[in-house]
Amino acid sequence: MIYLPVDSLDVRHNFALEYYLMTEKRPSEPVLLLWSTTPTVMLGKYQTAENELNRPFIEANHIAAVRRLSGGGTIYNDQGGCQFTLITPTQDTTIDFTSGLSLVSQALNRIGIKTQNDSRNDLVVDGRKVSGSAQYMTDGFRLHHGSLLFNSNLNWMAHVLKVDPVKLKAKHISSVHQRTVNLIEQQPNWTAAEFKQQLEHALIEITNAKTDYLTSAEESRLRVIAAEHFSEAAVWHSDHRDFDHVHKRYLKGIGVIAVAFSLDHHQRFSAIKISGDFFSNINLQRFEQALIGKTYQPQAVTPVIEHQLRQTPIKGLQPEQLTELLF
Amino acid sequence: MIKEVHMPKLSPKSDEYFFGKWDKQPGDSVKTGDVLFEVETEKAISQVESQEDGILKAQEVAAGETTKVGDLVATIEVA
Repeated sequence: MIYLPVDSLDVRHNFALEYYLMTEKRPSEPVLLLWSTTPTVMLGKYQTAENELNRPFIEANHIAAVRRLSGGGTIYNDQGGCQFTLITPTQDTTIDFTSGLSLVSQALNRIGIKTQNDSRNDLVVDGRKVSGSAQYMTDGFRLHHGSLLFNSNLNWMAHVLKVDPVKLKAKHISSVHQRTVNLIEQQPNWTAAEFKQQLEHALIEITNAKTDYLTSAEESRLRVIAAEHFSEAAVWHSDHRDFDHVHKRYLKGIGVIAVAFSLDHHQRFSAIKISGDFFSNINLQRFEQALIGKTYQPQAVTPVIEHQLRQTPIKGLQPEQLTELLF
Repeated sequence: MIKEVHMPKLSPKSDEYFFGKWDKQPGDSVKTGDVLFEVETEKAISQVESQEDGILKAQEVAAGETTKVGDLVATIEVA
């Protein structure tokens, strides 16, 4: 195991470091990083920023926003907490959070902090989340990174993260603020910097890692990667931005359905995208293509929807519910 | 000859994956080991590589859809 100390508080630099190690440095043994950031929101790779983030609050408070290359949901962290990264050379493409999480919880345990692993691969204390993890895999490498809340600003976290309003209304998900807790409750005499230092020592002891450093040439390479892969623009880009209308609804027993569309000057569909968390084998591209060019009127659209859903149903969805969503 | 590409099992916990994006388009030539597409499940992003040399003939799943292990994802025309 190699331990690379990270001084930068810039999330783009630190994500670029991960990516550099995965795709260019390609180490022959696992690499461990422990790092912190200025106040930052990190969006999952396939999330829509508009649904997740409170943009005015982020801009007013100069909070960094970045899109991860890993999956999962949006997290907030700052210098009150820290992030860990474990990069492992492997040909095994199976998802594995166990080895990384057991290392982190073992190190936490060694410094007197007790956590449990829940079914979603989070570390929790009495059911409240203290750490979230995500992964991505590239050719020959697995990256597992996660956050740890020690004394992070949970008030800002609650303001920054927007629980999808459609789901909130229908499923009554309580706010993020209520479901997380800071680890400082278990070590009230430590500062966040002391926590990170203690954790670093414990991790190095357990793994017997050798400390290594990047060269200045490698550091300059990170700036290029950060600009290419972790820009601010990549955060706010989403498919829905290309559409004039987005109709979205939570339908009980079916899930969230969103239809984003644009109309041409004859009031015909010029672009359409259907998405959601419903269950179906439906080929949405084919469905969308069938609606292109149709007039934006229920009588023009209904037969197409009926025909498509007769071919491949969306579990629990009646054709008229989709028509209603459109108009 | 046409070879079918089916969704491999990537997670011990889940058989349902969010289809993220295509890296190859119909008509593109593909080689064994080329990344064909990317899926997300359980907060992890996985790239699936081609096991064949040939031409990608058809994409059977679109980005944003849910796919299950074993589903037909694509067809590749091999020589």
